[in-house]
Amino acid sequence: MRFAWQMVRHRFASFAGTFVAITLGVAVVAGAATLYLSSRPEAPERYSASPVLVRSPSVGENDYGEPEYESWTATEATGLATRLAKLPGVTAAAADPMFYVQRLIDGRATGDPEAARLDGHAWSSAALGGYRLAAGTAPDRAGEVAMAGSPPGTRIDVLTAEGPATWTVTGTTDGPGFYVPDAVALRMSPGVRVIGLTIDGDAATVATAARGVAGSSGEVVTGGERDSLEPASVTRVRWLGAQLLIALVGLGAFAAVFVVASTCALSAAQRRREIGLLRAVGATPGQVRRMMYAETLVIAVLAALAGLPIGALTAPLLAGPFVDAGLEPAGFTGTVQPLALAGAFLLGVVVALAGVAVVARRASRAPALDALRDAAVEWRAMTLLRWIAGVAAAVGGVVLLARLSAMSITVRSTAGLGGAMLLLTAAALLAPVVIVPLVRLATWPWRRAATGMLVREGTLVAVRRVASTAAPVLLTVGFTVLLTGTIATIDNIQGVDDAAKLPAATVVAPDGVPGLSDTAVTAQTGTSRLPTRVLITHGGGTAGYDAAGVPATEFAELTAPTASPSRSATPGATPSKPAGSGATPGKSATPGGSPGETARSGGTPGRTPGSDGQSGVVLDPATAKELGAARGTVLELRWADGTDERVPVRAVVAAEPGVLLPRELVRRHDPAALTDVVLLDGPPVAVAGARVMPVRDYVQIDIDEEGRLVDLFLAVLIGLTVGYTGLAVANTLLMATAARRDEFRALRLAGATTGQVLRVTSAEAVLAVAVGTALAALVAVISLEGVRSAVEAELDRAVPLVVPWGAAVAVTVVCGLVAVAATAGPVLRHRGLTAGGGS
Amino acid sequence: MSVVLLIPLILYPALLCRRFPDGWLDGMTRAHTPPAVELIAVTKTYGAGEQAVIALHELDVSFPAGTFTAVMGPSGSGKSTLLHCAAGLDRATSGDVIIDGIPIGGLSERALTKLRRSRVGFVFQAFNLIGALTAAQNVALPLRLAGRSPAPGEVTAMLGEVGLADRAGHRPSELSGGQQQRVAIARALVTRPAVLFADEPTGALDARSGREVLRLLRAAVDHHDQTIVMVTHDPLAAAHADRVLFLADGRVVDSLAGPAGVQEIAVRTARLEEARAGVAS
Ligand SMILES: Nc1ncnc2c1ncn2[C@@H]1O[C@H](COP(=O)(O)OP(=O)(O)OP(=O)(O)O)[C@@H](O)[C@H]1O
Ligand SMILES: [Mg+2]
Repeated sequence: MRFAWQMVRHRFASFAGTFVAITLGVAVVAGAATLYLSSRPEAPERYSASPVLVRSPSVGENDYGEPEYESWTATEATGLATRLAKLPGVTAAAADPMFYVQRLIDGRATGDPEAARLDGHAWSSAALGGYRLAAGTAPDRAGEVAMAGSPPGTRIDVLTAEGPATWTVTGTTDGPGFYVPDAVALRMSPGVRVIGLTIDGDAATVATAARGVAGSSGEVVTGGERDSLEPASVTRVRWLGAQLLIALVGLGAFAAVFVVASTCALSAAQRRREIGLLRAVGATPGQVRRMMYAETLVIAVLAALAGLPIGALTAPLLAGPFVDAGLEPAGFTGTVQPLALAGAFLLGVVVALAGVAVVARRASRAPALDALRDAAVEWRAMTLLRWIAGVAAAVGGVVLLARLSAMSITVRSTAGLGGAMLLLTAAALLAPVVIVPLVRLATWPWRRAATGMLVREGTLVAVRRVASTAAPVLLTVGFTVLLTGTIATIDNIQGVDDAAKLPAATVVAPDGVPGLSDTAVTAQTGTSRLPTRVLITHGGGTAGYDAAGVPATEFAELTAPTASPSRSATPGATPSKPAGSGATPGKSATPGGSPGETARSGGTPGRTPGSDGQSGVVLDPATAKELGAARGTVLELRWADGTDERVPVRAVVAAEPGVLLPRELVRRHDPAALTDVVLLDGPPVAVAGARVMPVRDYVQIDIDEEGRLVDLFLAVLIGLTVGYTGLAVANTLLMATAARRDEFRALRLAGATTGQVLRVTSAEAVLAVAVGTALAALVAVISLEGVRSAVEAELDRAVPLVVPWGAAVAVTVVCGLVAVAATAGPVLRHRGLTAGGGS
Repeated sequence: MSVVLLIPLILYPALLCRRFPDGWLDGMTRAHTPPAVELIAVTKTYGAGEQAVIALHELDVSFPAGTFTAVMGPSGSGKSTLLHCAAGLDRATSGDVIIDGIPIGGLSERALTKLRRSRVGFVFQAFNLIGALTAAQNVALPLRLAGRSPAPGEVTAMLGEVGLADRAGHRPSELSGGQQQRVAIARALVTRPAVLFADEPTGALDARSGREVLRLLRAAVDHHDQTIVMVTHDPLAAAHADRVLFLADGRVVDSLAGPAGVQEIAVRTARLEEARAGVAS
């Protein structure tokens, strides 16, 4: 309808709530979605000159849904590369072994520790990135390296898995990385997982030919598929960022729906007379409805257009902070994502139309007589539909929360949040039912005072207005209590765990490096583990397991016939948080066994590899059960370097991780493995890339890192909710109070001072906030209880509920202040006793 | 100005011969044309059970086409209710309402809305205009709602008739109460409805603006053969009508035909109030 635009322009104040909500919602969703879509996996830079790549086969997925790859042995890799190189159109095929190397400057490791794990390469793989020598010659012997930034002849100090070394630069490259002779690289890396081809023919043709050669022993990727070669560590960082961004999109959209629905309802209620007049002069219900849709469409389009640039322009600015916070990989930038913008725009419009759809049906049926009656009594607050929707949402939420413990970890936090959202929706829908008794109860003590009476009756008559104001408060307080409560409850268990189990010992931990080299470990007197990843085939399937090499003596003790099966191999700390707390996947620190129970390695772990011919594997009961293995079962094991071995299970004892192997075997099959930490039983020896600290501090590093992430998530999500709904509270009340100007004028004409009017409006605002808070408390307690019992079921022990009183009180007070300020504004602005112009 | 005034003259030449309503109405018109609105045994009850209020009591009234009827009576006597039922804004509890020959009892809400749109006009005491729209747009509203674009000059002509041609682009908030009411009258008349209902149209106006509004209503009856039913408390206003009906407790208890004197109306009203006070005590 052509009047829609005029209506909107004229009554902008009453649409302002919807406008602000949509603008913000679209901005948040557009920004978050832009960042999310900007962060797609990318093929590493160093494969940029290799349009066709062959990767080793995947054997399935790990616990985090990432593909698990097996390695080619050096022989397999070079064999396959030789065959691939002979294909027509292929100029060269380079196996790409990768290993840990980090430059030492003045005895300190430099560069990003995690990235350093993959910084060492074979010289022939430099061609895959199109990197060339700017000066000097290719490395030819062990101890020689080609790298960027150092002139030939320079001697550099580096750290590798073996320990510190000094290399000679033979050539200067124009691309990053340390390039050593192919044979050396193959020896230093645990197998090969990628072979890159440089070609002079058509990529598709070469890929087809390569598939023929590789068969089932390799997967050929070209074009966009090459992006799947992104290192897992980078992908995990993206995953962390994605978690926050998804939460932001979800919360932004939910808050928009919530706020828009309630402001739409309020503004429709306020326009009753106007709608009645339209009906009286001959507008059919359909015409009224279409007009309301058209108005909302105008508002939504304007608001979305205002929100899009905010989101799109903010997103690139946030890329930096995201990288700094460890939520996106280095070099990440936010790029314009038309899909994100289109989606956010569409979302804004759909949300607004959905919000108005609910009220338009009802408003359009309003009798024309409404224009003539000036009754203050509103439409019936509860409709049948509202009852049904409210009860359905409540039931859905409770059921979802009750079934939480039966769900898999990956969907649990989403399901928990979804359940809480359903309950919040239910509370908002059913609010009018409880508002009347709640208000009666709350105002009982003041029923005789003029203010008390006015507040009481005013609120009881305008149940819808109170419901609209209470809705955003409900959302804010509910979310804050739920989020902080969940974290506090989990942190609480954590604290109990850690305090009880940490030995008062000292450890040697990595310092600016991803792990300790052999040299650093052997220098110390203490116990340590050498972590690796193995593939174990059982029951027709192959799966990856975290494994660790233990020193010969300890392994011998574990497998000794006298070993008590119930004895724990790791009484040490387990600083990894329980699932669902946003823990970094695949990261857990294991400072090894406690000194009281494990044998001393005497400073020589793995010094005589295989000398005593140790073999076999020790499993923990859970892994044994999963594999259907018992003492004596022979397992088919594939090492990190791609070699297969059949190993007998020597013992089943409580162990962390679930698979223990002799250290020297692990070292032999995973030359790039790095030790996480050494638990000292002697005086520490200073070595490069290591530092000494108490166990407590070491464990605290991971806890702090996780705590930092959790706090960041909390701050962002709560900040968003509080900011969003604070605005919603403010503009609902501004709208509602502005529309009551005449009422206040009548009050003043009846002899009330401005102070008294303010007291009435403030009391009403506080009452609405109180109603919202009470409902939020109810929802939060139910949801928290759901989360708590899920954690309890998971950990199989009592978990006390922690209610975050501080946060709850803080947000409630903020909401209260915003509400009082928002009502006082219009009252103070229109202090005159004359009638205002217009309607 | 002159052109604007000419248009109604060209469109409605017939009105020239109906300059003087005094005698012609009673005899001939009633016999030939059906009444614009007819209420037959209309009862309107609000609420149910013990709290039920009978606002209209088996009411039989007819409003002949081209007449100006004033409805008077004490507060709560059912005047507004009568108007709402007669206009199809509200449904009678029992009895029939026939607007321009069409019984509205069986009409759907949609059909009723359409009937209202084309055959019925309204002027209320206050809150008559849509604040977002200009005077001209307000006047054009019923036409647009009917899916019809106003003919060029149609709206201006209508505004001209109420003396506001120069205010077409103004919004209600920029008009005085009397001007707003005149715009409302223009809007009510733009569809040339069979009947115009007005509920205390002068109630919120000062004496001068009130007289202006009544003069317009009278002119519509005189020049355009418009049927008007007006509820009022003011004997001065009622004196502009051709007929005055007196309502008490939902029944027509008295009536005055012909242009009655203000004095006479005031006397009858006072008598009614007294009777009521007597009953009450
Ligand atoms: N919506 C309603 N619900 C219940 N009772 C009503 C309603 N509307 C009117 N009434 C009652 O019906 C009766 C007639 O009301 P009505 O509004 O027609 O009186 P009125 O003659 O227009 O009075 P006034 O001169 O004060 O406007 C009154 O007793 C009134 O209380
Ligand atoms: Mg009335």
